[in-house]
Amino acid sequence: MKWRYLKQHIFFAMVRASALIIALALGGLVFYIVYNGIGAISWEFITKPPTHSMTQGGIMPAILGTVYLTLGAIAVGLPLGIASAIYLTEYARQGRVVRLIKVGINCLAGVPSVVFGLFGLGFFVIFLKFGSSILSGSLTLGFLILPTIIGASEEALKAVPQTFREASLSLGVSKWQTIYRIVLPNALPGILTGSILGIGRAAGETAPIMFTAAAYFTAKLPGSVFDEVMALPYHIYVLATAGTNIEATRPIQFGTVLVLVAVVLGIDLIAIVIRGFMRRNKRW
Amino acid sequence: MESNSIIRLNHVNFYYGVSRALTDISMTFGKNKVTALIGPSGCGKSTLLRLLNRMNDLIDGTRVEGEILFEDKNIYAPDVDPVEIRRKIGMVFQKPNPFPKTIYNNIAYGPKLNGVSGSEMDMLVEQSLKQAVLWDEAKDILNKSAMNLSGGQQQRLCIARALAMKPDILLMDEPTSALDPISTAKIEELIEELKKDYTIIIVTHNMQQAARISDETAFFYLGNLIEYNKTEKLFTKPNVKQTEDYITGRFG
Repeated sequence: MKWRYLKQHIFFAMVRASALIIALALGGLVFYIVYNGIGAISWEFITKPPTHSMTQGGIMPAILGTVYLTLGAIAVGLPLGIASAIYLTEYARQGRVVRLIKVGINCLAGVPSVVFGLFGLGFFVIFLKFGSSILSGSLTLGFLILPTIIGASEEALKAVPQTFREASLSLGVSKWQTIYRIVLPNALPGILTGSILGIGRAAGETAPIMFTAAAYFTAKLPGSVFDEVMALPYHIYVLATAGTNIEATRPIQFGTVLVLVAVVLGIDLIAIVIRGFMRRNKRW
Repeated sequence: MESNSIIRLNHVNFYYGVSRALTDISMTFGKNKVTALIGPSGCGKSTLLRLLNRMNDLIDGTRVEGEILFEDKNIYAPDVDPVEIRRKIGMVFQKPNPFPKTIYNNIAYGPKLNGVSGSEMDMLVEQSLKQAVLWDEAKDILNKSAMNLSGGQQQRLCIARALAMKPDILLMDEPTSALDPISTAKIEELIEELKKDYTIIIVTHNMQQAARISDETAFFYLGNLIEYNKTEKLFTKPNVKQTEDYITGRFG
């Protein structure tokens, strides 16, 4: 066999192996979680608060808290991120200032999440006196996912053909109307696709909500955005490191992990359905 | 022609950054006439067309000198809103560019923002489609996506969309260069029909097309207006040697 065919085979084998390793790692992880966690799942587990110093009972307050915090983060991050991306791609004159802003956004994406947590503690919790609350946590998580959403939105806005903008403007439609009626509706499916990553991250992060929103234990459900909540990632952290009986609560820990993964997938699924709905008639 | 002009250019220079794309252009466009702009690629004819409805504003770093008078008002005067200009001077592009909306909503898009609605809108859509000779093909599929139409139909839809704004002038930037011969013939017939009500300025690479459909023809070369005359005259007895060389295919 010729040497270059051999090279090709070796290369293909390497690429194929890489894909396989990733698939196996993901499959193994999911299997491990489901295998260990499924036993803990029951109707009571997802509808009741914890009891007996969190060694028994359910995790309902934590599920609800994570859902609130994630929706709050979306409510903060999505409008702000889309607006920033519109400014950067549609309005700002492309030059040094825009490049500088983009470098800043990329740096923001690289900031460790615990730093966001400390920022949230200093600014929202203490300075703005929001306390440890859904509001502080949502704002902190919202800022955490901002770079992801800005990046996704920029790409999606750029993917809208320039000819659509030209067609709209040539009809005597103003720039803002063109963005609002033509560019944004066509970019939204793409914006959501990218933002799903951010949404998943917001639901799963522990460090940013540790100081800003999450309670060690509260059986009481939040009555307003100024109440603190339990949250799944933090609950897992607590059970696994600081619980009253770490070994005995292993099944609950795995059960909680499984629920967290399910909640993230559930929120992603909603975003995917909305995206599919918006994509109808949106091909070009 | 002088008395019946709708647009007049006085000593217009145009720059992309530091490079000059148009040099000292002075010309008038006749009302309810079809004027063709011809010349080799890069001669500035499309640039000139896009100057007339301020589409070049969209490109950073461009600069205009001189005056472009539309109904005796300089459209580049500081107090002029380009959005208003584009409402009166519509445009059809080289590649059909319908929105990914229904046929109906493609046409209703512009008028809706001007407050047209209900049965008035239905009438406007029908009238515009009839003007663009697309009504018979489209009347049963008004709520289907415009993306399902053929290229030629899409281009006629774009013309209907522009007409729905009731412009005074229709600018066409090589409107048939992406179409097959049959669709091209249909658009040419349409232009013939439209000139009763509209002023049409068309950029074309196709000299036979210019000869067939236009009343006046302007020949551009390297950003200069070389010759501007009645179409018949320009194609049979051009005054300038360069024009003759171009239309006989000796360069370009």
